[in-house]
Amino acid sequence: MLPARSQEAAAAGGTYSYCSRPRALPARRRYRGAPAPKEEPVRYGNLMYDRRVVRGNTYALHVLPWTAQPDPLEIQRQREAHRKALARKRAKEQLQSRTPEPVEGRKHVDVQTELYLEELGDRIIEVDVECQTDAFLDRPPTPLFIPAKTGRDVATQIEEGELFDFDIEVKPMLEVLIGKIIEQALLEVMEEEELANLRAHQYAYEELRNAELAEVQRLEEQERRHREEKERRKNQQAQLLQKQKETSEKIAARAFAQRYLADLIPSVFSSLRDSGYFYDPVERGMCYFFLT
Amino acid sequence: MAHARISARLPPDIDPTKAPIAFGERALPKLQEELQAPALLTRQRALMALCDLVHDPENVYQAVTLGFLDNLKYLLLDEDSTVRQKTTEVLCIMATHNVGRDGFIKNGVIPALSQLLNDPVDICRRNMHRAFEMMAELPTGAVGIVESNLISSLVLKLKTELDEIQELILDTLSGCLRVEAFEALATGAVPILKEKLTHPSVAIRSKAARALLGISVPQEGKNIVWDEEVIPVLVGLLEDSDPEVRANAAGALMNATITTQGKYAALTADAIPPLLKLVDDETSKVRLNVIKALTMLSEAPEGRKTLLNHVGLFRERLNDSSDAVSRAAKIAIQVIEWKP
Repeated sequence: MLPARSQEAAAAGGTYSYCSRPRALPARRRYRGAPAPKEEPVRYGNLMYDRRVVRGNTYALHVLPWTAQPDPLEIQRQREAHRKALARKRAKEQLQSRTPEPVEGRKHVDVQTELYLEELGDRIIEVDVECQTDAFLDRPPTPLFIPAKTGRDVATQIEEGELFDFDIEVKPMLEVLIGKIIEQALLEVMEEEELANLRAHQYAYEELRNAELAEVQRLEEQERRHREEKERRKNQQAQLLQKQKETSEKIAARAFAQRYLADLIPSVFSSLRDSGYFYDPVERGMCYFFLT
Repeated sequence: MAHARISARLPPDIDPTKAPIAFGERALPKLQEELQAPALLTRQRALMALCDLVHDPENVYQAVTLGFLDNLKYLLLDEDSTVRQKTTEVLCIMATHNVGRDGFIKNGVIPALSQLLNDPVDICRRNMHRAFEMMAELPTGAVGIVESNLISSLVLKLKTELDEIQELILDTLSGCLRVEAFEALATGAVPILKEKLTHPSVAIRSKAARALLGISVPQEGKNIVWDEEVIPVLVGLLEDSDPEVRANAAGALMNATITTQGKYAALTADAIPPLLKLVDDETSKVRLNVIKALTMLSEAPEGRKTLLNHVGLFRERLNDSSDAVSRAAKIAIQVIEWKP
């Protein structure tokens, strides 16, 4: 089968050549002994038993598993050779003297200098576009959701003078306020005036009272003095009288006594003589002597 | 709790230190409740509002009937000095009204006030003394002060208090001496008053002379005045520049010379010439007191002898503008020309 298919594949041309064109695989004969159907060969097979399907790991796979199995060593050598070639090329490029560096402000550009310009058709105009999110940009805050206004707008404005008239309204209030203030002030002033009047009254009264009181006391005192004086004089007089009386009584008594007693002594003496109290002591002595 | 105020910022012309006064009848009862509040600020504000209200006599009457005086008595002993100050001010204003004074006597405010005699704040003491002075003008009030045994403390305070307050105390004493002088005499008021007679302040001199006038009305007063030799000082005051001082000094002399010993003390102090000079003084009180004093002095024979030469002065005074003076002049002439 293989060669037929490869021929067909080569004849197809194009970019890709199949080793075997993809086809639907024929159904496998169920029974061994059953003869194959003679109609067109239905070349269907079971995917699971197809040797062309790769099985197992696909990431550690050889690059070209369907070609002749090359020596792994051979592959390695190939790769190394490739690498060396690249390196040689790079070195050669560097050693090669190139056109001088562009002057500041200028740039070297490849330009066709042949006689007939070729349109570089296979050069695709490339435009580099980059897009990069800014680092560290936070999600911006969600904008306020202001739902659209529904309904009708109605406005009203109170003009000056429409609500009330200040001057008229304020009058009664002012009157009350001022009335109260003046009332309080008047009260206090009247109080002071009253007090002043009272004091003036009291002053005048006190004056009179003191004078009258002094007068009363003076008269009292005068009375007392006069009375005392009278008493004293009376007493004096009484004493005087008493003394006088006493003196006169004394005198009378003395006179009387004198008179009374004037007679006394002779009569006493005479009676005594009569009773014999006066005796001659010599005579008495003689008698006594002789009698006893 | 809902307040009557709408916003936290008060209107510009309101006085924030006063409590708002309720309307009409409720004003005083509400203030009474606020006076008993435990918060200091409430009490202070209520007192300030009360001070204003008490100028009206009707409010005083209502306050006394509501029993404000008990609350005020309690607040007199508060620790905060503003409260005490305002309370004494309220009581002082209430004492200027007769209703208030009667209320004071009935509720025994005088002993409560006397507890503030030694208060450290000057204004409290001054208001308290003002209240006492107003009370002493009334006879029953003076009796009340005497009965609370305040006279001795007042006399002793005379020595230590400020001048302003001394004036008030002297006035109070003058009022009380009309009722009863013994206690004052017992506390030794006469020497203190004698000292005050030579005080630099005119008001104190005149009030001290007035107090001496009052004190020398009873007999013991006259004797003590003669004992303390106040009479020469009084004679000196007769030449003072203030008419009040002269009038009161002449009055005190008038009372002191009623006793014989007083008369002779005055005569030895040579009282007659200054007294004669003052017979023509402008103030009627001076003339009256002077004529009376001369009458007293003319009861003594020496005085009579001297005054017989000046009877002319008295005759001029017979037609004086003041009735009392002309009567006094007549009596003086009678006495001078009396023959035993």
